[in-house]
Amino acid sequence: MTTAVNEPSATRHPHPTWPYAPNEAGHAQQAGHAQQAPQARPAPTLPRLLPTPQKPESLRAHLTRLGPVPYRSRSNRTDRTDRTDRTDRTDRTDRTDRTDRTDRSLIADIEAAGLTGRGGAAFPVHRKLAVVANARGRKVIVANGAESEPASHKDAVLLRLAPNLVLDGLHLAAEAIGAREAHLYLHSGPNPEILRALAERSAANLDRIDVTVTKAPPRFLAGQETALVNRLSGGPALPMFAPPRVSERGLAGAPTLVQNVETLAHLALIARYGPQWFRALGTGAEPGSMLATIYHAAARPEVVEAGIGTPLSTLLNKDDAAQAQALLVGGFHGTWLPMPHAAELTLDNKALSRHGAALGAGLLAALPADRCGLVEAARITRYLAAESAGQCGPCLNGLPRMAAALTDLARPHRPDRQTRADIERWAGLVTGRGACSHPDGTARFVKSALIVFAPELARHERGRCSATDPRPFLPLPHGMPTTEEDWT
Amino acid sequence: MNGTTAFWYASRATGIVALLLLTVVFVLGLLVTRQGRLPGLPRFAVTSLHRNISLLAVAFVAVHVLTAVLDTYVSIPLASAVIPFASGYERFWLGLGAISLDLMLAMIVTSLLRGRLNRILWRAVHLLAYLSWPVALAHSIGSSRDLQHGWLLDLAVGCALVVLAAMIWRLAGAVRQLPRAARVAAMMTKHATTRSHNPRESAAR
Repeated sequence: MTTAVNEPSATRHPHPTWPYAPNEAGHAQQAGHAQQAPQARPAPTLPRLLPTPQKPESLRAHLTRLGPVPYRSRSNRTDRTDRTDRTDRTDRTDRTDRTDRTDRSLIADIEAAGLTGRGGAAFPVHRKLAVVANARGRKVIVANGAESEPASHKDAVLLRLAPNLVLDGLHLAAEAIGAREAHLYLHSGPNPEILRALAERSAANLDRIDVTVTKAPPRFLAGQETALVNRLSGGPALPMFAPPRVSERGLAGAPTLVQNVETLAHLALIARYGPQWFRALGTGAEPGSMLATIYHAAARPEVVEAGIGTPLSTLLNKDDAAQAQALLVGGFHGTWLPMPHAAELTLDNKALSRHGAALGAGLLAALPADRCGLVEAARITRYLAAESAGQCGPCLNGLPRMAAALTDLARPHRPDRQTRADIERWAGLVTGRGACSHPDGTARFVKSALIVFAPELARHERGRCSATDPRPFLPLPHGMPTTEEDWT
Repeated sequence: MNGTTAFWYASRATGIVALLLLTVVFVLGLLVTRQGRLPGLPRFAVTSLHRNISLLAVAFVAVHVLTAVLDTYVSIPLASAVIPFASGYERFWLGLGAISLDLMLAMIVTSLLRGRLNRILWRAVHLLAYLSWPVALAHSIGSSRDLQHGWLLDLAVGCALVVLAAMIWRLAGAVRQLPRAARVAAMMTKHATTRSHNPRESAAR
């Protein structure tokens, strides 16, 4: 089944938990604060999501670190009515152990906090919450931990180190929208930490609804919202045309809230400490912190939590500045930026959008100067083309063409004069023509590669290549889908 | 032709035009299912053409039915246009026409509501076209003396042959078609090999 399309990736860290390494520079993680005694309103410092020291946290340790799960209704277990606005039910005589947060709607708090989705699209969370909360009838909530970006590991790290924070967020959001059915959609099925957290919460009778765990197929598009709904319905994880959006008509026709697991973890913290606390980090337009996966030019990749708006130079190390030629920002649907300039930017969409880039799934990959950027870009483009669902003509016909043409340019020789123009034309033709944004994202990736690696392109035309290290840099999974079962 | 025969002629004429239009709609529908193209038209235009000609055909069917009902030479109750075998005149052949019309109405209603229905339901109803067209043809030949001889019979037979040819072409495509999941892999191989054996490129080297 494995074809020549995806070369075996040079995984520099074969252990399943390899992506995660403590941030040695310590810049994004001020460990000192989290080691203080638990407090009702912790200082707004980092790390917020991940525990310190960085090892999987039990339910008891989690509740000690962050305080109890701030359910807003009167009782966790007896309130089984279908009210969407549970704040009405707050019994004002029984507020002894609750803060003043409980008489406000969580959705209003999320709106005030300005939380945006951390899965890639950065959509305002309160808007999706409100759409599903205002819908009538049965509602569903899904925590999306598919993390199908092969080079992103932040969700896996979060689910391993702070599974209870994600589950807090899932249950709090379920309460806020009135969902009675909750799903957890995970890349490689449930990890031991999640299973332990689910067992501990069940034993403690902490939550009022059950969580169904579903394994996502190892496909790039598996985490796409409509593909996720198709998979949870028992079908293949294939994207569909929207509208209707899944927030209006999702799983079995029920309004469905799909949020990335990191988004739900942030939501659980906002529910505890409020919007002001959340806004102490980040920029005015993009508040809070985020998890990022960073591939260094000469060090192990790591997952760090950083305030939005942090200068990229502080997240990258000095080797990156000296040895990297380009920075891939966002993910495989992201944008290549030339390196000395990229380090001057900040980690926020406002700054990145001026250069055609976006935070996306939070990937920063500094490509070392001793690799060929065109070879790396062509390899990733072949992977993206192979991961097309094969449903929409522009994607099915356009992406393999672009991948083959870029592979041709990655070889040091004088290419057909038309090849580069062809790629740019096809990139324009596929954009906006799919049920999902896969063709758009791939086109963005390819176009930015042609711009950033233009000097290398000129070198290839003279029959030369500047690369001295032929090893692939970013990881890719093996194999490509050839049967319908590959999507389930 | 006077006032009493005008309806009769109109009904005959619109019936024949409707049959021709429905044949075109049927063939265009098969073209859409195979994602085929017409010369000089983008693919979406084939879909639009299928949609618009079908509405035009329905307009002709409506005039055909109304004029037949209004014609006083034979008595055809309006209800028999949609209720099969409710007409005293040519009970069987007009009944087929009513069945065909009912199936068409089901397809139109589900297509207009397509955004609100799931695709499987819409598709299942739309498959009724394979029943509706032959029934309409049988109605045409059976209820009209005109179509039973001469050049109008040739026309009806021609329509049937065109539809038959289009069906064979459609089935041949279905047999050859790769399963969805294998299409991307086939595309990747195709383009990878055409790139490496590009004659223009070899000449440049």
